[in-house]
Amino acid sequence: MALNSKKRKQNDREEPSDTFNKAVDLEMLSDEEGENDIESDDGDVDDFPEINTGSEEEEESDEEDEEDVEDEDSDSDSSLHIFPKAKTIVSDITGQEKLVYPEIEPDYDSDSSTEDAPNRVGDIPMHWYDDLPHVGYDMDGKRVLKPARGDELDRFLSTVEDPTSWTSAFDKTAQTDKPLTAEELELIRRLYANENPDAEYDPYEPLTEWFTGKGKEEVMPLSAAPEPKRRWVPSKWEHKKVMKIVRAIRQGRIIPNKAKTTSQPQFYSIWGESSSSSAPPPLPAPKPPLPTNSESYNPPEEYLPTEEEKKQWQETDPEDRERDYLPQKYSALRLVPGYDRFIKDRFNRQLDLYMAPRVQRVKLNIDPSSLIPKLPSPNSLKPFPTYKSLKVAHASVTRCISVSPDGAWVVSGDESGNVGLWEVNVGKEIKKWKFKGKIGSLEWCPRTDVSYFVVGTEDTLHFLIPPNLAPSVLQLTQTRPSPVKWSTPSSDTWTEDSAILYVHLPPSSGLPTQITWHRRGDYMASVSTGGSQASVWIHQVSRRHSQAPFKKVRGKVQLVLFHPMKPWFFVATQQYVRMYNLSEQKLLKTFQPGIKWISSMDVHPSGDHLIVGGYDRKLCWFDLELSDKPYKIPHTRNSGPFTSTQLYPLFASSSDDGAIQIFHSRVYNDLMTDPLIVPLKILRGHEVTSGLGVLQVKWCSRNPWLVSAGADGAVNVWCS
Amino acid sequence: MGRLRQKGKAGAAKAYVTRSAAIKKLQCSLADFRRLCILKGIFPREPKSRKRANKGSSAPTSFYYAKDIAYLAHEPVLRKLREHKAFAKKLSRALGRGEWSSAKSLEENKPVYKLDHIIKERYPTFIDAVRDIDDALCMIFLFASLPSNPRIPPSLIENCSRLAAEWQLYVMRSNSLRKAFLSIKGVYYQAEVMDQTVTWLIPYQFTQTIPIDVDVRVMLTFLELYQTLLGFVFFKLYTDAGLVYPPSLDAKKDESAAGVGSYLLQEVSQQPDKPKAPKVKVVEVEGRQVSGKDVYKTIKNLASSSSDSNSMDVDVPTAENDSVEIEEDFVMQPSKSDAQTASSLPTLQSLEALPQSINTSLFAPYTFWLSRETSRPIFEFLVRSFGGRIGWPSSSGGGSPFDESDDSITHVIIDRPVIEQAQETDEQRERRLKRKYVQPQWVVDSINAGKIILEAPYAQGQTLPPHLSPFGEYVGAYDPAAIANEEAAAEEEEESEEEDVEIEDVEAEDAEALKAIATAATEDAAALRAAELAAEAAGIDPSAFEKEVSKSRRQSKKASSGGVDEAETDMNKMMMSNKQKKLYEKVKYSQNKRNTERSKLEEKKKSLEKQKRKASKT
Repeated sequence: MALNSKKRKQNDREEPSDTFNKAVDLEMLSDEEGENDIESDDGDVDDFPEINTGSEEEEESDEEDEEDVEDEDSDSDSSLHIFPKAKTIVSDITGQEKLVYPEIEPDYDSDSSTEDAPNRVGDIPMHWYDDLPHVGYDMDGKRVLKPARGDELDRFLSTVEDPTSWTSAFDKTAQTDKPLTAEELELIRRLYANENPDAEYDPYEPLTEWFTGKGKEEVMPLSAAPEPKRRWVPSKWEHKKVMKIVRAIRQGRIIPNKAKTTSQPQFYSIWGESSSSSAPPPLPAPKPPLPTNSESYNPPEEYLPTEEEKKQWQETDPEDRERDYLPQKYSALRLVPGYDRFIKDRFNRQLDLYMAPRVQRVKLNIDPSSLIPKLPSPNSLKPFPTYKSLKVAHASVTRCISVSPDGAWVVSGDESGNVGLWEVNVGKEIKKWKFKGKIGSLEWCPRTDVSYFVVGTEDTLHFLIPPNLAPSVLQLTQTRPSPVKWSTPSSDTWTEDSAILYVHLPPSSGLPTQITWHRRGDYMASVSTGGSQASVWIHQVSRRHSQAPFKKVRGKVQLVLFHPMKPWFFVATQQYVRMYNLSEQKLLKTFQPGIKWISSMDVHPSGDHLIVGGYDRKLCWFDLELSDKPYKIPHTRNSGPFTSTQLYPLFASSSDDGAIQIFHSRVYNDLMTDPLIVPLKILRGHEVTSGLGVLQVKWCSRNPWLVSAGADGAVNVWCS
Repeated sequence: MGRLRQKGKAGAAKAYVTRSAAIKKLQCSLADFRRLCILKGIFPREPKSRKRANKGSSAPTSFYYAKDIAYLAHEPVLRKLREHKAFAKKLSRALGRGEWSSAKSLEENKPVYKLDHIIKERYPTFIDAVRDIDDALCMIFLFASLPSNPRIPPSLIENCSRLAAEWQLYVMRSNSLRKAFLSIKGVYYQAEVMDQTVTWLIPYQFTQTIPIDVDVRVMLTFLELYQTLLGFVFFKLYTDAGLVYPPSLDAKKDESAAGVGSYLLQEVSQQPDKPKAPKVKVVEVEGRQVSGKDVYKTIKNLASSSSDSNSMDVDVPTAENDSVEIEEDFVMQPSKSDAQTASSLPTLQSLEALPQSINTSLFAPYTFWLSRETSRPIFEFLVRSFGGRIGWPSSSGGGSPFDESDDSITHVIIDRPVIEQAQETDEQRERRLKRKYVQPQWVVDSINAGKIILEAPYAQGQTLPPHLSPFGEYVGAYDPAAIANEEAAAEEEEESEEEDVEIEDVEAEDAEALKAIATAATEDAAALRAAELAAEAAGIDPSAFEKEVSKSRRQSKKASSGGVDEAETDMNKMMMSNKQKKLYEKVKYSQNKRNTERSKLEEKKKSLEKQKRKASKT
């Protein structure tokens, strides 16, 4: 129905325009016809005989008749038309109007395209003939020459002279300018005017009603399916949805046309009820520091920065500045300008608030001096060496000293091979020996019934007897270390200058850097530098027997030491200290002092504690029965050797800066009490030569006196 | 065998998440995450070991507590932000298609988030909120003074200035301002609200421009939170003070730039007559408790007052009498009148009982007039907070309670140099002589001093004394005031020394010998005697000798004791553990830094003094 009415409407609209169009067409046609008639032959009318007859036969109404006449007229030139004109006739079968198009006669003449084509090259790109004088061939196979084309001037003249030149176009196949026909011109004009190229095309043809209209209603349905219920029953689901909304509106969940949400927030008593959450409130952000005097607009003058300070402030980066403003002074409040970094300050504060990690720190409000451990005053721990009593000078670097067991005599050896024996109290040198090469080590035999000392030079240990001994002691000394196995000069040839006994270490074992005696004085251990592995030797004097206790030692042996009471033997390599049981011949313990390079080691006289010092200024205190990790690490200046006394609870450590430090170390019998270490005094008196300070320190056995040998060649005695 | 422990399944690796991981988990943009962090007050944490927290990587990242992020995931605001994202998409599509009506309806139903629950969460009690409003106030005051631009709508600025005015009104009404400080950055104020000190900074009245390196979005997000926070805090403060919140705005006054004066504070006239049942109960209980105590108190008071009146004749201060009367009244009330008024009274009484160290009615007897070159908002606030009356010319804004010719004006706050007025009528002259002309700093210094200080040094045209910070510094910091006191003493000493010099000049040649003898003599008695004899022989005044001896003794003592102590402590330092040593050095470092700062200032002061003295002499 709707479709029908629409179509009808369309018809109503189209009819007047149709007539108008036709009228216009007529006019235009008439204009063209004049030309057409001139050009086209009469045969045109004969071209469509059938149409003429057909139309004559079936025309019924007068109007149609007239139209047909017109049609015929137009038909006359429709042969030249690209679009043949259709005719409306009444069908015999249906009795309805129908469009009939003229039939195309397939005779020879009908195809006008082949009619006068002098050129037979076919549909090829004509530029192939560009360089040739001809354009294709005619029926006889002769060349069709290109018609003469004038030069530019001719062409120009022709445009001026020839009135048809502007309506002609270049024909590629003929290679000449051909005048356009009136139809072609009309076509161009219509295209140019954005019109339908076909003048005869009628966009508003009357609608032909095939299935609609009065009397033509469809009786039979197109589909046999029964009509669905939804066509006439209202949808249940839609109803449900609508009702949902209706209910929501009734209950007030949806407010139709509700007022725009107010931008003003509503405030109410948010802290009215007691807080329900038991969680602790989040930590408040730290408040910014309050302004100080320097921020005042009128600060005391001393707060104003000097030119230097100003410059320094300006040169430092804003992040590094101690305060973010420069103090300024204004004589009146009205002169104070706006602060240009105000917003930046606020912004930085906000960045701090949300981007900076916050760490809770306990603010330490302690007196720094309370951190220093309270130790007994050194004055209460006297005696200990406090001053230098005498100085004995050597020519060169003095590497080793040793104090006699009775504490009255000192032997010292230097790098030029001199060994001096002198008295502690006065410093009077009694005797001097001269050896070849450096003196590596010196050690007095700890026995009191005999008196001799060992000097280590390159590959050899010399046993020397000091002069002026009591005859009984001398006797005993000469007899007891009977030089049997070891190379012994005959007792006749022995003088005070020569050694009583030599121990020749294996060749290339190098300089013995350390000689240490067992407390009984029978065993002696030496450490040599050069030896590859067997650098450690234990010598038994009474049996004249030497043995290397270790087949293989990991690392280079720095020091060895006998335990004063037990048959234990300490070996210090560069970083570890190993403790061996000599009688059972096994490793007892490995100490890890955490020192880069061990320089010295000593056992506390009580025998329970080991002190290890290193070149990296560390001092470790080990309890032999406890851990293999150090118990206490005092920060010392120690880097050289140190030693502890037998009689007094003291130990000394020497360093490369020429200072000697005296410590008090008390060990309690009570196992629960930690040993007490108190630094007592720093003794200075050695000069630093070639980066070396004090090379060896030794305690006198009877008195709290200290003997030290330095790189400056001096041997000092420090008395209490 | 225990369960195998897998790496990254426990400990720091689990407790911390990096920022990018957090964003990934929350499925929001970085900007949204930032906004959430600001609103919820979540900030990055510093793990003990960054490497362990970042699963072995040591790349520089910020870490958050994983719990914090999990907590954020349930945040209603996050949901709203997501809704807003969808809304923005819909809106842009509607606009792109030119569907204006649907765009309009979308815009009307724009998702809006509320921050009420966040305020409650972040500040579970009112005290927590009051403690944390410093930054909020600073921001509000800053934005109240900003010009509007496309990013900062005028409505926002209006709201900020409203909040700022409400706060000032409250502070003025409750007399809670304590300190003020005129700095180069602006004016610092410190108030005491609910026993919390609240400090805020107001910039001077100049147009601020937002620098390009400031992210306005961050500031606006903070401002969003702060506006809500302050709204709730002010609501509570106003209602507790028995005022209507928000105070009504007088549009006419506001147009005449009356500032704070354009808001009207209204007392809550009548309690609504429908109190809930449980509330009444509580009140009753309170009332009873209080009344019991108060009966006892009043009896005591009565007794004491009667004894007072007995001992003193008639000169009982009226104020005391009044208070006693009030107390009497208020004991009677709970029995006869309704419970609510009774409940309000004990609070009043307790407020009065609070120790008030600061005189909040400092300016009460005075009336001020602001000269037009002084900043009205600052001084109106300061003077009115301390009970003074203040007026200003119409050029500084409307709403002045009186005009310049008012006879009650006692002080004129003026900030311009003195200019001789050629033609002065008698009336003007009289007025000028009657009033005190002070520079603005006088007001602030009086407030900080807690009393009315002398006007003379602050008179018009005078060089002002330095303005010091009332907030103080760390203990042991340089104190310019203390130095000034010491200075006087030092000067006296110096003078006496100068007198001494004359004497010493005479004995100049002897002095050297004397000194040598004296130092030698300090060691022991015998030597001292010998030295005395020697001195006599040399013809030195015995009194001078004794002086010298005591001096050298002191010196030697100091040197020896100091030296020994130092050596000992140095030695004892060796026995400190590494940790202790580091701590010790840190503390020492900061101490030294402070000391050098202090000594620098002192030196500067001294040199300045010297210069001044020289200038005055010549």
